Amino acid sequence: MLGVSIQTLRRWDDSGKLSSVSRKTSSHRHYLESEIEDHIRDNIKELDLFKIGRNWAADNMGAEPFSDFYCSDISVFQARLTRLENELSELRRLSRIFPLISAISGEIGSNSFDHNLGNWPDIRGIFFAWDLKRRKIVLADRGQGILATLKRVKPELKNHQDALRTAFTEVISGRAPEYRGNGLKFVRDVVADNKINLFFQTGGALLKIQKNNSKINVQKSVIHLRGCLALIQF
Amino acid sequence: MTIFLKKFGTTLNGRQFGKESFAAFEPSLREVKEDEPVQVDFEGVVTFTPSWGDEFLGPLFNRFGDRLLLKNTKNPSVQAVLKTLVKIYGKDFNKE
Repeated sequence: MLGVSIQTLRRWDDSGKLSSVSRKTSSHRHYLESEIEDHIRDNIKELDLFKIGRNWAADNMGAEPFSDFYCSDISVFQARLTRLENELSELRRLSRIFPLISAISGEIGSNSFDHNLGNWPDIRGIFFAWDLKRRKIVLADRGQGILATLKRVKPELKNHQDALRTAFTEVISGRAPEYRGNGLKFVRDVVADNKINLFFQTGGALLKIQKNNSKINVQKSVIHLRGCLALIQF
Repeated sequence: MTIFLKKFGTTLNGRQFGKESFAAFEPSLREVKEDEPVQVDFEGVVTFTPSWGDEFLGPLFNRFGDRLLLKNTKNPSVQAVLKTLVKIYGKDFNKE
């Protein structure tokens, strides 16, 4: 939830930065949810949003993320996307490309909802957070992942790497029953044409795209995710 | 007829929203006369995505073909989406 190691938690507990509750009967440390949420709010500028999103999407135990990062349904996501759009529009250096950053964030986030509506394996909704000072936006979901959804139109897909490559490279007919790939090709084109970097992971496959390099080099990831994870840097 | 997209919102994103927007506007399309052009005006749109665009522009494109004319498409997200949709549909849009 916090994106930090156990050692860091121990250090914080000892220093009083984030105290655990009494652990007389157990060697494990326990924390009050409200204290963790307060800690996140107080220290939001120091947190690694990518790690928090990744850990949330990779955790075996599904739980709703911290409320400020959680979009339980598409209407919450739309409202937060408009807020992101407004904040981006205030950054002078992004005056030309902020609608593109907002558009790729919107496309990735709404894809998660469109492809998991009524079929979320455990936690409904997405993780959506940004840090404009560090120029990053993180989106994650615990959905079915690209392989499961693309297999409906391409049953020959064998693994997450094949599925991720297909999603970012092959144009799927506009009226096919599965639309996922088309939005991600838009994302790829926008990133390759602008000063934007993208990290995208689904299941056990990941790729990175940056300006003037839209070559799709899909790699196996060390950490396996439940659904999808995206990091947009600009 | 001119369809002003800003009347649907300035952040046009997502298939569900795109579908709802088209369904809400569809009754008005019955007023379009034979051979009358249908203009889609993007003025005021800030964020435009392919998922919304496909759900809204796709049916218009199928129905009106060459009679469909797009206006005020300078926003970079609008331009990028149109580029994507042209690849998917295999045909270019008429633009003012």
